[in-house]
Amino acid sequence: MAQTIQPTETGFRRPTEESSLARFLIIGLTALFLLTFLVLPLVVVFTEALGQGLSAYLAAFADEDAQAAIRLTLLVAAIAVPANLVFGVAAAWAIAKFEFKGKSVLLTLIDLPFSISPVISGLVFVLLFGAEGWLGPFLQAHNIEIIFALPGIVLATIFVTFPFIARELIPLMMEQGTEDEEAALSLGASGWQTFWRITLPNIRWGLLYGVLLCNARAMGEFGAVSVVSGHIRGLTNTMPLHVEILYNEYNLVAAFAVASLLALLALVTLLIKTVLEVRYGDELAASVRRH
Amino acid sequence: MSIEVRNVAKQFDGFTALHDVSLKVEPGELLALLGPSGSGKTTLLRIIAGLDFPTGGRVFFNGEDAGHRHVGARGVGFVFQHYALFRHMTVLDNVAFGLRVKPRQQRLPRAEIVERAMRLLQLVQLDAFAKRYPGQLSGGQRQRVALARALAIEPRVLLLDEPFGALDAKVRKELRRWLRRLHDEMQLTSVFVTHDQEEALELADRVVVMSNGRIEQIGSPTEIYDRPASSFVYEFLGDVNKLPVTVESREAIVWSRRFPVGDDMPEEGVASAYVRPEDVEVSATAQPGSVPAAVSHISALGPIVRLELDLEGQGQPIEAELTRRRWHELDIKRGQHVWLSTNRARIFIDQPR
Repeated sequence: MAQTIQPTETGFRRPTEESSLARFLIIGLTALFLLTFLVLPLVVVFTEALGQGLSAYLAAFADEDAQAAIRLTLLVAAIAVPANLVFGVAAAWAIAKFEFKGKSVLLTLIDLPFSISPVISGLVFVLLFGAEGWLGPFLQAHNIEIIFALPGIVLATIFVTFPFIARELIPLMMEQGTEDEEAALSLGASGWQTFWRITLPNIRWGLLYGVLLCNARAMGEFGAVSVVSGHIRGLTNTMPLHVEILYNEYNLVAAFAVASLLALLALVTLLIKTVLEVRYGDELAASVRRH
Repeated sequence: MSIEVRNVAKQFDGFTALHDVSLKVEPGELLALLGPSGSGKTTLLRIIAGLDFPTGGRVFFNGEDAGHRHVGARGVGFVFQHYALFRHMTVLDNVAFGLRVKPRQQRLPRAEIVERAMRLLQLVQLDAFAKRYPGQLSGGQRQRVALARALAIEPRVLLLDEPFGALDAKVRKELRRWLRRLHDEMQLTSVFVTHDQEEALELADRVVVMSNGRIEQIGSPTEIYDRPASSFVYEFLGDVNKLPVTVESREAIVWSRRFPVGDDMPEEGVASAYVRPEDVEVSATAQPGSVPAAVSHISALGPIVRLELDLEGQGQPIEAELTRRRWHELDIKRGQHVWLSTNRARIFIDQPR
């Protein structure tokens, strides 16, 4: 088929440059897609939330159950994110800097939460810790509540979000290799000094980015948390669960108001990420390349 | 500070990187580990540094077993091929790193650390770049920072892994001379790894030629170049013509001249004669002990003129090097018939590799 090659002013065109029609189509399609699936829903959330005025919007947050949900969500994230921070750094360190048997299995396992449905992730914990679960009788005998309580929600959240930081760091640390650490050690630094002064600064932006993603997901997780939480109002409802309850009760303004808070969180995450990229573009380049 | 490597072996799973290597580095010596990639030279250097551990054998520093000593406690300055500078620190902080991580009792006061780092930067002529980050420096400058950083801990031994490998030819030459001066001034014992024979011969007091995890030869640059111990060393150190010959009653005939074979070789058999291009004599007329050849290619690049010559009944062309003057005297042109002879050839029995 004959292709129309449109010459530029010089009469030459780079071989990788598409014709303007193709370019228009590709850019247009991308923009349309983003508009439909990202911008429009976001607009809807805020218009619905503010649809009956600011006072109605704020009233949604005055509700005790809503406040409890916000507190719970913050608490869960405050536990899950640091836990995954430690786990993510340790896992990435192990995979990137050591050679050992079963490394590829470990890599696959880290990806597991990405590949299985969050509902299943939740169910696993119910089957393990629930009243009818493997450890149920033991836990009941010792009066330990996990399912339908904070520990269950935290466990499910950690499980669902643990790949974020590890996945962010593994390629970064692999690319950096161990030469810097070796240099530090040969200069007399201890292992601890090497970690704090060399390894951590080398991965800081990748780590921060991973934490942001992990945090966004920890606060927004619905499926797994829904299974283990039991939906006890004011007690085990996180923000996403609270939104669902309000929505099912046709309390649209309140539902969208809480939802807007979650959306706002996503926007802030995005903003911080962008600011970081602009300010520390060079240092982030290595990790940004992969997104 | 002397270093002794005694019967060191290193095995990675299923692969032997070093076979029973022994070596002594005298105090104040500048030693080169020379070999192609995969010869085990970097592994040996890392074992001396304590960055890798041998699966057999020992390493002694001043006669004392260093095996149990951690890399940081060996007092070695290690310079990495890709510099391994800390990219989030300024040049000054990089150089000061080794002084700042010392235990509190041994650590110098802050101001003194900065002062000493600055002195080292002056030594490598980079004091003007103290506040820059490694990313803002050229390759040669980075390598000098890496050197200053390694020297900051006042090492007794300086180990360099392909220190000039990633630099362009001109910078490499400058840095080489500069390193030699530095080594002499600071009275260090230094070992460097290289795959560049010119670099090894120019810079080192002694050269250790390695191949396939074994030491092929240890000697001064002249010894190594003039009396290679094996065909490998011959081939690795510069260009060489390799001619198939037959050995009969301890002699081989190369271009109608007889050359004796070494004592350690069998009396008869198929062998190869090695003749360096500069040892090929070219003349316009027939001389006793010469063979006819045709000039197939001339490259007159610099002070040395290289000829490619076709010998009758021989597949591979012969390379010869002439001074520009000799070339003009002979007035050689492409396609011309000349006569070849040599009085320096080494015979090695072919070894399966």
